[in-house]
Amino acid sequence: MPVERAGYTVIMFLVDVSKSMGSTRRVPLPPGPDGEERFAEMTHLQYALQYVKFKIQTMTDQCGVILFGTEGISSPSDGVLYPLLNLPTATLKKLDELEPSDLYGDPIDAIIVGVHTQNTYLGNKKTWTRKVILVTDGEGPMEIEDWEATVQKMNELNVGFTVVGVDFDDEEHTEEDKRPVKRENEEFFHKFCEAGNDSIVGNLDFVLEQISLPDVKTSRSTLMHNVLRIGDTESRTDEAMEILVKTSKCTAVNRPKSFKKFAIRSKSPQEEEDRKAMDVDADEGKNVTYVQLKARSENFVDTSEPKDGEVESETKVEEDEETRLAALEKVEKEQLIRGFKYGTSYVPCPDGQFPKLPTKKGIDLIGFIPEKKFRRDWAMGEIQYIWGNPDNATAQCAISSIAQAIWVTGDGRDPKMGVMSPAFFNNEEENKRVDCLLWAPMPFQDDIRRYTFPSLDKLINKKGEILTEHPYLPTDTQLEAMDEFVDAMDLMEAGPKDEEKNPTEWFDIRDSYNPAFHRLKQAMFHCAVVADLETNPLPPPHPELIKYFNPPKKMVKRAQPIIDKCIEAFNVKLVPKVAKVVRKGAHDHAQDDDDEMLLLDRKPSTSKASQSNSSLEDSATEDEDEEMLLLDKVPPARKPNTLPTPARSLSPSSRRDNGDDSMDVDVDPQRDPHRLIGRTRPLVDFKENLKRGDIVSKSVEDMCAVIEEVVLAPFASRRAEEMMECLKELRKVCLKEDEIDAWNSFLPKLKEKCLKSTPGNEEFWSQLQETGRTLSLISDKEAEKNGGSSDVSESEATKFMD
Amino acid sequence: MAPYDDWNKIDDEEEEELQDNSIWDAKKDVILFAIDCSPSMLQPREVEENEQMVKTCHLYAALNNAMQLQKRKVISGPNDYFGILLFNTTKKSEVSRTQSDMKANTYLFQPIGPLSATSILELIQLLNAAQEDPEELRKEFPPLTDKRVPMGDVFNSCNWVMRDGTIPNPGAARKQFIESAKTTLADLTQAGVMVEPFFIETEEKPFDVDRFYAAVLQDNVFVNDDDDDDESGLKKSISISRIEDLLDQMKFREVPKRALFNIPFELSKGFTFGVKGYGLVTEQKKGEYKYFFDLGHRLEVATVKTSNIDEDRDAEIEKSSIVYGMSVVGSNENDDDDNIAATKIVKTGQRPFYTADEMRSFRTMGLEPGFKLLGFKPRSTLKFEDNVKHSLFLYPDEHTYAGSKRTFSALLKSMAKKKLIALALGVIRRNSTPTIYAILPQEEHGDETAWAESAGFHLIPLPFADDIRSAPVAEGYIGNHWKSFQAPDEVKDAARRWIDKMTIKSYSPDSYPNPALAYHYEQLEAAAFREEYNPDAFEDQSEPNVDMIHKRAGKFLKEWKIALANDDSATYVVPTTGSKRKSVGLSSSKDSRNMYTKFSLKVDELKPFLRSKGQSTSGKKQDLVERVGEWCESRMVS
Repeated sequence: MPVERAGYTVIMFLVDVSKSMGSTRRVPLPPGPDGEERFAEMTHLQYALQYVKFKIQTMTDQCGVILFGTEGISSPSDGVLYPLLNLPTATLKKLDELEPSDLYGDPIDAIIVGVHTQNTYLGNKKTWTRKVILVTDGEGPMEIEDWEATVQKMNELNVGFTVVGVDFDDEEHTEEDKRPVKRENEEFFHKFCEAGNDSIVGNLDFVLEQISLPDVKTSRSTLMHNVLRIGDTESRTDEAMEILVKTSKCTAVNRPKSFKKFAIRSKSPQEEEDRKAMDVDADEGKNVTYVQLKARSENFVDTSEPKDGEVESETKVEEDEETRLAALEKVEKEQLIRGFKYGTSYVPCPDGQFPKLPTKKGIDLIGFIPEKKFRRDWAMGEIQYIWGNPDNATAQCAISSIAQAIWVTGDGRDPKMGVMSPAFFNNEEENKRVDCLLWAPMPFQDDIRRYTFPSLDKLINKKGEILTEHPYLPTDTQLEAMDEFVDAMDLMEAGPKDEEKNPTEWFDIRDSYNPAFHRLKQAMFHCAVVADLETNPLPPPHPELIKYFNPPKKMVKRAQPIIDKCIEAFNVKLVPKVAKVVRKGAHDHAQDDDDEMLLLDRKPSTSKASQSNSSLEDSATEDEDEEMLLLDKVPPARKPNTLPTPARSLSPSSRRDNGDDSMDVDVDPQRDPHRLIGRTRPLVDFKENLKRGDIVSKSVEDMCAVIEEVVLAPFASRRAEEMMECLKELRKVCLKEDEIDAWNSFLPKLKEKCLKSTPGNEEFWSQLQETGRTLSLISDKEAEKNGGSSDVSESEATKFMD
Repeated sequence: MAPYDDWNKIDDEEEEELQDNSIWDAKKDVILFAIDCSPSMLQPREVEENEQMVKTCHLYAALNNAMQLQKRKVISGPNDYFGILLFNTTKKSEVSRTQSDMKANTYLFQPIGPLSATSILELIQLLNAAQEDPEELRKEFPPLTDKRVPMGDVFNSCNWVMRDGTIPNPGAARKQFIESAKTTLADLTQAGVMVEPFFIETEEKPFDVDRFYAAVLQDNVFVNDDDDDDESGLKKSISISRIEDLLDQMKFREVPKRALFNIPFELSKGFTFGVKGYGLVTEQKKGEYKYFFDLGHRLEVATVKTSNIDEDRDAEIEKSSIVYGMSVVGSNENDDDDNIAATKIVKTGQRPFYTADEMRSFRTMGLEPGFKLLGFKPRSTLKFEDNVKHSLFLYPDEHTYAGSKRTFSALLKSMAKKKLIALALGVIRRNSTPTIYAILPQEEHGDETAWAESAGFHLIPLPFADDIRSAPVAEGYIGNHWKSFQAPDEVKDAARRWIDKMTIKSYSPDSYPNPALAYHYEQLEAAAFREEYNPDAFEDQSEPNVDMIHKRAGKFLKEWKIALANDDSATYVVPTTGSKRKSVGLSSSKDSRNMYTKFSLKVDELKPFLRSKGQSTSGKKQDLVERVGEWCESRMVS
């Protein structure tokens, strides 16, 4: 078979519009919003046309549509809907209006007409590919006498023939309940196709499924000429080298086509009146017109004059904003000059760019680096192949001996830094091999951002000591659990088994279709094919598109015990968003993402730190109004999220050593970001949280942690009484809210920390002991009374405090 | 601290790539220089510069640095604000109102405000004057000779002038007032101000940090809780001893760190932690030009407003009522002739187009922002060519999930130990498309002095099957024989020798500023200062050092060339094939013309080639081909 050339194919669609095509069927739709099954009622014809329309949509080739079963298919031209056209959208519109007839047409006639029309159209253009696709339900009677002649003719002309049958039998599915005539016709089509050189019979359901398969067009990119230079090729030629190379794209991001924008056109009053006056029949009013929109850009310029000499003040700014909006004047693009901003000054540049850096096309070698020094994360973009000139043996030979390098390329365009890595293509079967270089863009100085992040391993507390135990540091148990987890989630043998039953690797880039790209493509074709998306929404994505959306099921299932172990070991908790709301109620200076509000609310109490304006004049007075004003002018680069509120605790815990610029703004600087309870007013926080009711466990957990921190911090004696209150409240809550275990595990820990750790807080523990039984462990009896359970006996509880 | 909302404002239709910049644009930084003017700062010093002894002083150098930083900042962060405060000077601020806030003996040289060509020029002029007359700075900013301003007061003054910024603090002074300095500094920090000290020392007079600053600043670091900024940074800045390093050090600090996204990372169901993403490598482009309107006496930038309109009605359509679909063609037959816009008429209640929400669900496949772990693979499975975009950097976020840091840390250690990468499916923003990422562990390392590598994960977006282009060349000539699968040893060895000589330790982007950008900025700066630009003065630092190449490797290159010339390939004739798109085949070799005539080049390819080599481009194609052949011969086998 000759190779198909894109755009050089003529497809004839032969569409059966016989009476039987009008019978309706239920086509399953994607489940509704509540997961209910949904179906669309449509005729066989509508169903079949989806396929035809889809094919017409997706191809760049020319096509014709011939109908059979229409009235009086006496002469060949009668049934022709569109002889041959290269205008898919127009054809589509015609197809939308098709209705089944009251007659039956003969497919064989249609084939003859189709082949003939195609042949007439193409004349003697031998290189064109000819295809005929017959779409029928096979319910009509057929004249099957001289069919061999037809097949012969088609073979002569090299016509590819496909029968797409509505409810035809195939290997997977047989329709039991069908009329004998259909069965006979199907048999006939199979016979017909066997005789044809390039003919097949297919089932409509199957082909419809096939066309939603993502297809990847492997496009070869054009080879571009370039030259690889080593050394000074201008004046020291004997020691320098110039290698002619060709470059082509190795990876290139394929982006979905953009959709057009539409909107419902509202009827203008004039039209409304016209319609009434003319008394158009009711149908007219039932139509809705969608109009395609055009983007329009308009330029506006602020022509208001800045008031000179006036001291910038609060009122000025407000005025400014108003006048600025009002003073915007529309200007035509032709009146504008191009230029660049340089700080607040403008630099006109009528060409839109300054003279470009004069560069010479070519790739200049800078040096070689060891492969292990190549930073993979610096590769900045799409990869290029660099080939020795394929027609030049020397160039190829030279290329194959070069290893890796950094270089600059440019052909009058802006130079790019990149790194080349050798690649070898071996085709053992054909005994072919070619070496080339792969080029990846690398960053210039300007492209690198040197952010530093707090160390994950090295936590230093206030005293400058390195911590070895901290909630931020994984414990040995956690590290072990993670190792197991990582091993369990190994993909190298998680793929499907190959022919020899060997496990294979899961995930292959060559099978990973860009889901959004294909989904949008599917959506695009779908909306061109169906008239109404409400009743006929887009079917779900093809399974191939989402096959890499979840880790392999078997692997996860096997790993589940280890995953559960990890979940327990790491105990990662979502910091509830409600915390923010709680805080708001708790403090008058609640913060919000909205900066203005924040500052209005805010009353700096002790701080000398005040905000000032961009200009010094403004900073003379310090009042809140001014602060507000300031925000209009200078949005702060960073939210002042730590307010100078004096903390009651003088002991910033080591936990706070590692900060983060938070998204969730917190008020209490003594509240850790992931906590609901701050160290400033733990009891208040605790009660507030419990009022909300839904976050008891987290509140209890955080309360325990806070109490421990405060008790073990320096100067804890000042807050001993407060902590005692906290403990009482905590115990009460634990008892009532069935958090008994939490209390019973917390208390011994606290005891141990107080007595055995350094510095500890023996004093606090003895105070606690004095309180006695009421703050001890919760015993089984106590628990029972409150509807809970405990494995601590009464005597144990009493003994614990001694 | 970019709020989510910022990202979501971005138009649905825009490409993802564009989104990064909007974040940078929306935020402002304020930098305030606080510079010591004490007599020791004004002490004239002789410095060797360009093999000449130049008279200078620390204050000059500090101001010069400030100017350099301003020049760069005006380009890298045009929205940022800048100011210069001098202390230990008797110069009084002119505006009396400020006196009450400013402590005595501090002087606000440049009030904080957006940078402009004028303000930078002023500074340049002052510096020029100072170069002419070494006494100029002393005259301009008379030093405070008898005493020193307490650092606490300096910070205090800064406080009045700024909200946020960096205080490079060149000064060789010892202060007693540690407590007050500490307090004020703490306040500053709490208001979101970062203090970056820069200490100047000379060989004779080393700067003893411990005497004062260590105590003050050490605290600062720990108070600096809600800022991500590195605590380890302090030591580095302390270690600065040469003023030349100052600028380099500032380079690292000048770009504020902002997260691009903050989303959950699901390791498995029920096992999720929080991460933040940062862009550490992004192609820096020249700014887009803007349109200006000439108001006669000044230029005013034009605001562009884009709207969607119904052309026939000239009516603007609200964004919320826009639906999306394919274009309609040939459906206007029944409409009036003067209609331009394409229309589609459907029955009431029918909807032929998609809503914006539907479009978004197609883009995101219905996924919410977040990462989902797919599994692990050996590091070696991540190929060089599996790349389409720049990488991102992940760091744990304790604020959304308590326990993120320990989980992240454990995962990182485990992956690094086992030399693994992770694969994860990710949707990084509400409107972005699902992408599969390779996640590369980055362990922390680096010594005390050099720029340390922070721990985290590099996030490398993998290409999809759709993004892979096939190799257009299937077969090449390798060496002596077609069947031998290696380049001939002599040639390879010869190549090895010069390659070894040209091997550098590693690639450091710091030594390679983008020449195209630099060229652009230099012209922009000259235009802003109304200076004539001399393109010859431009130095392209990215050009290979050919002198070094020839010195080190020239001899071996020559040998290699000879080895190549003696190889069979030099005389081997690549057979002609029908189409140049097809790979080189063997079978059709029939003629044996000179290899250089074999280029299937076109005339319009030959001409530019010859032109670039300074050869004549006249004559027929045959002439051109011959000329190219001659040229190549003269170069390749000399």
